[in-house]
Amino acid sequence: MATTDHTAPVATGKRPRRWHIPLLLAPAAIVYTLVMIWPLVDSLRLSFFDEGAPGERIFVGLQNYRALFGSDLWWGQFWNALVNNFEFFAIHMLVQNPIGIALAAILSLPALRGKTVYRTIFFIPAVLSYVIVGFVWRLILSPTWGIAPDLLDRIGLGFLYQPWLGQTDTALITLSLISVWQFIGIPMMLIYAALLSIPDELIEAAECDGITGVAQFFKIKLPLLWPSIGIISILTFVGNFNAFDLVYVTQGPFAAPDGSTDLLGTFLFRTFFGSTSQLGDPYMGATIATAMFGIIVIGVLLYLFGIQRRLTYYQM
Amino acid sequence: MFRTSARQNPLRSSALHLVLIVYTLICVAPILLIIMNSFKSRRGIFGAPLEFPRGETFSLEGYETVFTIGNFPLYFQNSLIVTIVSLLLTVVFGAMAAFALSEYRYRGREILTLYMILGLMVPIRLGTVGILNMMAAAGISNTLTALILVYTAQHLPLAIFVMSELMRQVSDDLKNAARIDGLSEYRILFRLVMPVMRPAIATIAVFTMIPIWNDLWFPLVLAPSEETRTVTLGAQFFIGQFVTNWSAVLAALSLAIIPMLVLYMLFSRQIIRGITSGAVK
Amino acid sequence: MGELAFRNITKRFDKTEVLRHIDFQIEDGEFVVIVGPSGCGKSTLLRIAAGLEDQSEGQVIIGGTDVSLAPPAKRAIAMVFQSYALYPHLTVEGNMSLGLKQARTPKDVIKERIAEATRILALEPYLKRKPGQLSGGQRQRVAIGRAISRHPQVFLFDEPLSNLDAALRDQVRMEIADLHRRLGATMLYVTHDQVEAMTLADRIVVMHDGVVQQIGTPRELYKTPANTFVAGFIGSPRMNMFQGQANSGVIRAPGLPPLPLPEGTALSGPVTVGLRANGLDLHPAPGAGADTSEVVDIDYLGNVCYLRLTLPDDATMVVEQRPDHPFSLGDHVTVTVQPEEVHLFDPEGLRI
Repeated sequence: MATTDHTAPVATGKRPRRWHIPLLLAPAAIVYTLVMIWPLVDSLRLSFFDEGAPGERIFVGLQNYRALFGSDLWWGQFWNALVNNFEFFAIHMLVQNPIGIALAAILSLPALRGKTVYRTIFFIPAVLSYVIVGFVWRLILSPTWGIAPDLLDRIGLGFLYQPWLGQTDTALITLSLISVWQFIGIPMMLIYAALLSIPDELIEAAECDGITGVAQFFKIKLPLLWPSIGIISILTFVGNFNAFDLVYVTQGPFAAPDGSTDLLGTFLFRTFFGSTSQLGDPYMGATIATAMFGIIVIGVLLYLFGIQRRLTYYQM
Repeated sequence: MFRTSARQNPLRSSALHLVLIVYTLICVAPILLIIMNSFKSRRGIFGAPLEFPRGETFSLEGYETVFTIGNFPLYFQNSLIVTIVSLLLTVVFGAMAAFALSEYRYRGREILTLYMILGLMVPIRLGTVGILNMMAAAGISNTLTALILVYTAQHLPLAIFVMSELMRQVSDDLKNAARIDGLSEYRILFRLVMPVMRPAIATIAVFTMIPIWNDLWFPLVLAPSEETRTVTLGAQFFIGQFVTNWSAVLAALSLAIIPMLVLYMLFSRQIIRGITSGAVK
Repeated sequence: MGELAFRNITKRFDKTEVLRHIDFQIEDGEFVVIVGPSGCGKSTLLRIAAGLEDQSEGQVIIGGTDVSLAPPAKRAIAMVFQSYALYPHLTVEGNMSLGLKQARTPKDVIKERIAEATRILALEPYLKRKPGQLSGGQRQRVAIGRAISRHPQVFLFDEPLSNLDAALRDQVRMEIADLHRRLGATMLYVTHDQVEAMTLADRIVVMHDGVVQQIGTPRELYKTPANTFVAGFIGSPRMNMFQGQANSGVIRAPGLPPLPLPEGTALSGPVTVGLRANGLDLHPAPGAGADTSEVVDIDYLGNVCYLRLTLPDDATMVVEQRPDHPFSLGDHVTVTVQPEEVHLFDPEGLRI
C-alpha cells in the first residue's frame, strides 16, 4: 500500500484551532453562568451565614437549617407552605392535566370542524400575566361586585355562592383552580402535538380493527402519550415552585386568609424582603431557597429514576 | 376521506361541539367581562355588569384616571425595552451556543450541553438572593439592564435546548456546501442556518416574550423604582392603590391585557404551528 | 493540474479506525468512482478530500499542492451532495454565484461562469426561481451547475443520484457522464450502487471496512476480482460462491462437477470457488441424483432468465439462461462450468 511519492511539498503544522467554537459559546455561557448559576450557588452558600454585627457576615454552619426545621416560628410556616404547595400541585395534576388531555383528544379528531379556533381560544389565558388573571378572578368572585352570585342565581344555584377566596378552607383550592384555568392550554398543546405525531396509518389500522372512539383513545393513543404526560408532570412540578405571583397578587404577601394560601414562593419572598411585622432576612431567604432547591432535585430524581424508567417509549 | 365525512355521527359531533363551546365560554368570559366593564361608568359596572356598555352606561372615566395618574406610557416603554432586548439577546446568544453545541465534535461537549440546559429544571427565582447581591455589587440594581440580564440568563437554557435539537435537523449537506463556497462558520449560522429555522425561532421568540412581559417577581425585587417599572408591576401597584376605584382598576387591567391579546392573535397560527411541529418536545 | 492524491490516509473516530492507510491517486481528467456498502468509509474519504472532515493521519494532494490543512473553500474543489444542499432562500442564480462572490470574483467573471453553467445544463428557465419551486431532477442539475461555476480542479460527487427516482436516476447519470466528456475534468464519485460505478467510472475503487479492496477499470474488477468481497460486490446477480477442496489438480465441491485447477498452480486444501451466473450451462437430468440440482425459482426478465437451483447439499446457485430455455419449476438438471469463468480464492479470500 505504501506507494507514496513525495512530489508535492508537504504542508506542515497543525490545523488552525477552531476559535469559532469558544467564541460562539462565550456570550451565552458568560451571561448564564454569571446571572443564573453563580447566584444560585451563592444563595446556597449564604444559607450557611448570618449577620453578626450590622454589615458583618459570619459563618454559622447549619444553624439556619436548624432554625428552619427545628423552631416553631419557622418550621410551622415552612410546613404549612410545603403542604399547600403539594396541594396546589396535586390539583394541577388531577384537574389541569386530565382536562388538557381530554381537550387535546377531542381537538385531534380529524372530523372535527373549527379546531383552529378552539385551539387558539383555549390558549389565550396562558398568554396573560398572573397579575391580570389574579385580579380578574378576584373581581369576578368578589362579593362587592357580585358577578359570581348573580350568575349562579340565574341558573338557580345562588345558594352555592360563598366568598371562596376569603375563606381559609376554600381559598387555596380556588386559587389552584384559577391557575388551572390559566395554564390548561399548555398540557393541551403538548398532548395535541404528541397526538399529531401518531401516524395516520396506525389510527386507520385501529379503525379497520374496529377500535374506535373512546376505546381508541384509551387502547391506542394513551399508551403512546405516556412519555409526553411524564414530561408535562415534571413541568407542572417544577413550575409549581414558581407559583408566587398569583398568590401575591390576589391574596397579598401574607397569603390571606390567615396564611391558608401560603406557598413556598410567597414564604421565600416574605422572609427575604420582610414585611410590616418582620425584618427581611436574606440568610433565612437563602436557606429557604436551598430547601426548595433540594425538594425540586428530589422530585426530579424520583421522576427520572422512579417513573421515567418505567415509561415505554415506542418507536413511531 | 372516509374518516372526514362519510362516517360523521351528527349526534356525537354536536355533543363534542357543546363541550368545546362551554369551555370556550369559560375561557373567554372572564376576560370579556373585564374589558366590557372597563368602558362603563361606576353605576354601569355595578348596576348591569353583564351587559355591553350602552349610551348611559358608557364612560371612559377609568381610562382617564389611568392616563392622568398612572405613568403607563413610561411603564410600557420599560416593558418594551426589557422584553425586546432580552428576547434578542436570548435568541442570538442561544443560537450561537446551540450551534457550537450541536455542530462540532470536541471533548467535553456533552457536559457543556448538560450544564447549559441545567437551568431548565431549576427556577432562577431560587437564586434571587445571590442575584440581588451581585446586581448591587455591580451597581446596576434598579436598572433595566439588571432585568435584561436576568431574563436572558433565565431563557437561554430553553432556547439552547430547542435550537440545538432543531439545528441537528438542518441538513449537513447544506452547511457543507456553504463551507465549500467559503462561508465562515458565523455566516453559516446567521445567514444560512437561522434563516432556515425562522419558523422555529419565531415560536421560541414568542415563548420567551410572554413570560418576560408578564413577570412580576423580578421587577418587584430587582427594579421596583418608578422609573424602571414595567407594565405588569405598574398595573399591580396601580390596582393596589386604586382598589376601590373600580373603573380605574378595570381600565388598567384592560390596558395590560390588550397588547398580549393582540400579539397572540397576530401570531397564534405561527405559535401553534411551532408547538405542534415538534419545536417543543 | 487536476490530479487528486490520497497519501496514506487514516481516520479514527475516538478509538475506531474507519479508514486505514488509504493511498491512491486520481489522474487529471479521470473519472474515479468509490463504491462499497454503507459504512465502508467511502463518504468519509470524500469528505476528507473536500476538507469537511480532518484526517487523523496522511495527506490530501490536489493539483500538486498539499491541501491537508486547507479549509474546503481553498482546495479548488466543488461538491455535489445527495440531498442537493441548495440554499433554500436564494434563487438558482444566487445559489450558483454565492461561492464566487464569497471569493471576491469580479462581477463580469461571475456573470460569464453562470452563463456557461446555465448553457451546459439548460437551466435558463429556472434562473430566477427558488429551489422549493423545482423538481428533484432540476434541483440536482442546479447543484451540478453550482459546482461547474466554481471551475474546480476536482469535482466531488456524494451519492448524487440516491434521492432521485429510477427513471430520473438514469437520465441524470447520463448527464453526468456527458458532462465528464465535455469538461474533461477530474471527478471523484461515491456511490453504493455498483451499476452506477460500472457505467460511469474510468476506474473503480472498491472499499470495505475502511480498507481499499481493489482499484481497477470496471472490466478488471469484473474479470479478475482481487478477493471474495470484490467478487461478490461487483456484478449482478451476485457471484455464486462455494467451499471446495483442491486435491491433486482437481477441485471438488458438493453438487458441482470436478473442476480442473488452472495450469501452473499446484494447490491443495480448502478453496472458495466463485462462479458467475453467465458462466454456467444446464442440462436436463432424468431425476434426482447425487450430482443433480432442482430448479426452485425462475425470474423472467425479458432478455434473460435467472434460474435459482438447489444443490444436493442445499446450497443455492443462480444460473443465467436465454429466455427460451426449456426448463420449468421442479426440473432436475446437471450443471457444467465454463472453465475460463472459474474464480478461485484461498481461505483468506484472496484471488489465486
